[in-house]
Amino acid sequence: MSDPATQALQPRLLHHQAQGASGGSAGSTAAATPSSATGSSDPARPGLSQQQRASQKKAQVRAFPRAKKLEKLGVFSACKANDTCKCNGWKNPNPPTATRMDLQQQAASLSEPCRSCGHALADHVSHLENVSEDEINRLLGMVVDVENLFMSVHKEEDTDTKQVYFYLFKLLRKCILQMSQPVVEGSLGSPPFEKPNIEQGVLNFVQYKFSHLAPKERQTMFELSKMFLLCLNYWKLETPTQYRQRTQKEDATAYKVDYTRWLCYCHVPQSNDSLPRYETTQVFGRSLLKSIFTVTRRQLLEKFRVEKDKLLPEKRTLILTHFPKFLSMLEEEIYGENSPIWEADFIMPASDGAQLGQTGISASVVSGSPGLVKGLSSASSLSSLDAGVTETITGEKRKLPEALTLEDAKRIRVMGDIPMELVNEVMMTITDPAAMLGPETSLLTPNAARDETARLEERRGIIEFHVIGNSLSQKSNKKILMWLVGLQNVFSHQLPRMPKEYITRLVFDPKHKTLALIKDGRVIGGVCFRMFPTQGFTEIVFCAVTSNEQVKGYGTHLMNHLKEYHIKHSILYFLTYADEYAIGYFKKQGFSKDIKVPKSRYLGYIKDYEGATLMECELNPRIPYTELSHIIKRQKEIIKKLIERKQSQIRKVYPGLTCFKDGVRQIPVESIPGISKCAEETKEVKDPDVLYNMLKNLLAQIKTHPDAWPFMEPVKKSEAPDYYEIIRFPIDLKTMTERLKNRYYVTKKLFIADLQRIITNCREYNPPDSEYCKCANTLEKFFYFKLKDGGLIEK
Amino acid sequence: EKKMSADPKIVELLSELHQLIKQTQEERSRKNKSIIFSVPASPYYRTKLRGLYTTAKADAEAECSILRHALDKIAEIKSLMEERRIAAKMAGVYSDSDPPRKTMRRGVLMTLLQQSAMTLPLWIGKPGESPPPLCGAIPASSDYVAKQGDKVAARVKAVDGDEQWILAEVVSYSHSTNKYEVDDIDEEGKERHTLSRRRIIPLPQWKANPETDPEALFSKEQLVLALYPQTTCFYRALIHAPPHRPQDDYSVLFEDTSYADGYSPPLNVAQRYVVACKENKKK
Repeated sequence: MSDPATQALQPRLLHHQAQGASGGSAGSTAAATPSSATGSSDPARPGLSQQQRASQKKAQVRAFPRAKKLEKLGVFSACKANDTCKCNGWKNPNPPTATRMDLQQQAASLSEPCRSCGHALADHVSHLENVSEDEINRLLGMVVDVENLFMSVHKEEDTDTKQVYFYLFKLLRKCILQMSQPVVEGSLGSPPFEKPNIEQGVLNFVQYKFSHLAPKERQTMFELSKMFLLCLNYWKLETPTQYRQRTQKEDATAYKVDYTRWLCYCHVPQSNDSLPRYETTQVFGRSLLKSIFTVTRRQLLEKFRVEKDKLLPEKRTLILTHFPKFLSMLEEEIYGENSPIWEADFIMPASDGAQLGQTGISASVVSGSPGLVKGLSSASSLSSLDAGVTETITGEKRKLPEALTLEDAKRIRVMGDIPMELVNEVMMTITDPAAMLGPETSLLTPNAARDETARLEERRGIIEFHVIGNSLSQKSNKKILMWLVGLQNVFSHQLPRMPKEYITRLVFDPKHKTLALIKDGRVIGGVCFRMFPTQGFTEIVFCAVTSNEQVKGYGTHLMNHLKEYHIKHSILYFLTYADEYAIGYFKKQGFSKDIKVPKSRYLGYIKDYEGATLMECELNPRIPYTELSHIIKRQKEIIKKLIERKQSQIRKVYPGLTCFKDGVRQIPVESIPGISKCAEETKEVKDPDVLYNMLKNLLAQIKTHPDAWPFMEPVKKSEAPDYYEIIRFPIDLKTMTERLKNRYYVTKKLFIADLQRIITNCREYNPPDSEYCKCANTLEKFFYFKLKDGGLIEK
Repeated sequence: EKKMSADPKIVELLSELHQLIKQTQEERSRKNKSIIFSVPASPYYRTKLRGLYTTAKADAEAECSILRHALDKIAEIKSLMEERRIAAKMAGVYSDSDPPRKTMRRGVLMTLLQQSAMTLPLWIGKPGESPPPLCGAIPASSDYVAKQGDKVAARVKAVDGDEQWILAEVVSYSHSTNKYEVDDIDEEGKERHTLSRRRIIPLPQWKANPETDPEALFSKEQLVLALYPQTTCFYRALIHAPPHRPQDDYSVLFEDTSYADGYSPPLNVAQRYVVACKENKKK
């Protein structure tokens, strides 16, 4: 249990239980919530939740006889015997001992003197004489909350959290004393803290990304969004200290403010009903989501993965197959620069009334009711909202004729990108329907992708892929068992050096699974693997295709399916011991001998084979592996067309080079006809050595600049785990030095672009007032000055 | 397709072929009409029927000759394309407009080999005519010389000294030395072998029709050399079942010591890639 994510999950699970048990609140309303899906009573976690205990205690105290209630309130009430007595709470002269329970104890008499000021209990509670029972009960509720807060202060180890608990403890004490309503004061501001709130943003996201889908699929996405919002509302945020450690940000002030707000307005009020309660997703906006999303996503997926067996079967598919993708798409909108979903006046481009219950939910938000709960409570009511929604949306559209369109939203994010219209135009030409006629000659071109045939065969149902495994708890069906035997046969035949018994043992081991390749109902290949979710990797154990079905791309397609399966299950590393014949195959599938997973994570887990080579493959969850070669092929076609277009605009066309046919391996770039002329036009430094020396000199100056220190080396993933998720094109001065050495900077443009990217990346990842950004600002000024000085750019 | 339109000879042949197919269709509709009227009953009708049969027979023969004509056209087109391919190979240029690869991807080669087997013409003899050499299992005559570009099974010495039957393409034949020059079909091999006649077995040039010429097929239990699926090597195998219909493959059992009974499970191999096994002694 050393994993921080696992630890952090514990308190959250308690909250879910609380929701399930108390009823009526958000946790029990929607079927999609993890709490109700996983079952509310978990024998592994006995005991009551904080909230349950609090409300039980309150009920108990409120059932006390009046005298006992007064005694309890007297403890928190100032002495009014005379003006000079400063005592602010009656203290029992005979404090209960540990063995005597509060309940059995007789109420202290009103004449009993206070242990600290000596005045009678009556002097402390005189102000309560004519107070209604309701108000007494309200105050008693606060008393219970104060007692609980006291315990929390005592138990809490995190300094920031402890401080907030203590502040709330004092606040409630003061309120009992003054019989007032608790109001959190100070510089925190009052909710909502940001607009649009998270809920609105996420619902906008669903509209924006999925409104083109069929109603059923759209509903699925909508349900996922509900689930995500619900989870966020019951999620325990990481403490500012944890946040600082994870993000490696010097300055966590902004997060600390949000965290404090969250404790005071959302988290503590969940179990402490004296304080007004708000939902996280309704009072916070994009900035909080930006701070927490990376870690929350990881924890969420991990939680679902661990608890997947407890999920309802119909929810399981939803969660395991769609949720990771959903979250990845959402991530892009959270961190993307130009995401429209966070705009205050976000309006979806009209889509024939194909709207979700979006405004249904926002309406309830506006009306101030616990909107989310209401809006989410039943999916069936959504359809009835549709009509009204469409109307309001079209009405608003008239007011804002320049509403965002999808094209705007997909605006170019990378410098030098090609305009979308042009890409669309080119796309039209490459998907010429006439080209689809006739035999599939594409399979016969020497450039056909390795897995092209396999992909086609799968689409036509000639081959199938299934992840299967043996189970000791469930009776396996006969087909699965036959397939497992088939797999065992294929493996033992194709891997003659492996003992057959050993193969049988692993294929039928319930901890191992096998991705089976089925053709005509028979197994013709497969990959046997074992997942180690706690270690964050999967071991590839056996991998084979029967000999008479080889060289058809099945091996590649198998591995691609396995990659996608693992992305769904949030495992992003494959490890395998490859024998000498397998190394070639694994290399083609993106495996490398360079192992990034720390040894401690796999040592003792993975089966070690003598004489075999350990290989690793890191998966990128953004890549749709089974379609990758197809996508790349399309991209190549697009680029080819774009080049053709560019060429048609060029006045002079030079004949192609023939020297390579004569066996020449390399020629200088300048000797290509037309290139030197081109370079002249762009006023490039002609002599490569002159340019090299200029850039070398400049780079040296930049590196010795006092503000260059943050950019000297690549950002370490250990220091900023989410850096490479946010920054698409990382670059640093060390890498630039290497590039310069390797003569990569053949034009000044390339060099300047890299320099500029250092600055842009820094600004994208860090807050503007951070130390890093200050460095970036100074450095940027410096190098532009130097560039001008050196005549590399216009003065 | 660009290639075809560039070659006027092939365009001409294609349009002729198209014409022939149209004619066939016309013949057929005529034949159907003539049979519909036949109602056998009295002597009068019997005479009438005989007349109709005679006409129908003539029609069928006419259709048959058109079809043969069409098949000849197809063969002509194929041989033209083959000529072009060989010419291109000699010139060392790639026939495709795409940029050249070092070697053709293995999977692509396999697909080409399968296609070549599938499009091997079916031999259709005239009544009473027996299948010629190189149709199905019928071997070439002893003095037969394979042409340039023909596919053959070639017995070569592998790197480790073992003898192996590989799929190869004939480059040339020298009448003075009686030796063939052949290329390994697998470009990765890139080797040119000079081999004596007895190391070469020409592959069949027609499929035998199991429905009309079953004697031109290898029979069950017969020892053959068959191309192992998805490879470019021939191995010894027993015929498990000959094809039933013209488009069917042989089902064969490869000699394979890794199986308990010494033979692989039945695997399909096209007629194109099954040849008689000369040597009888097992290795």
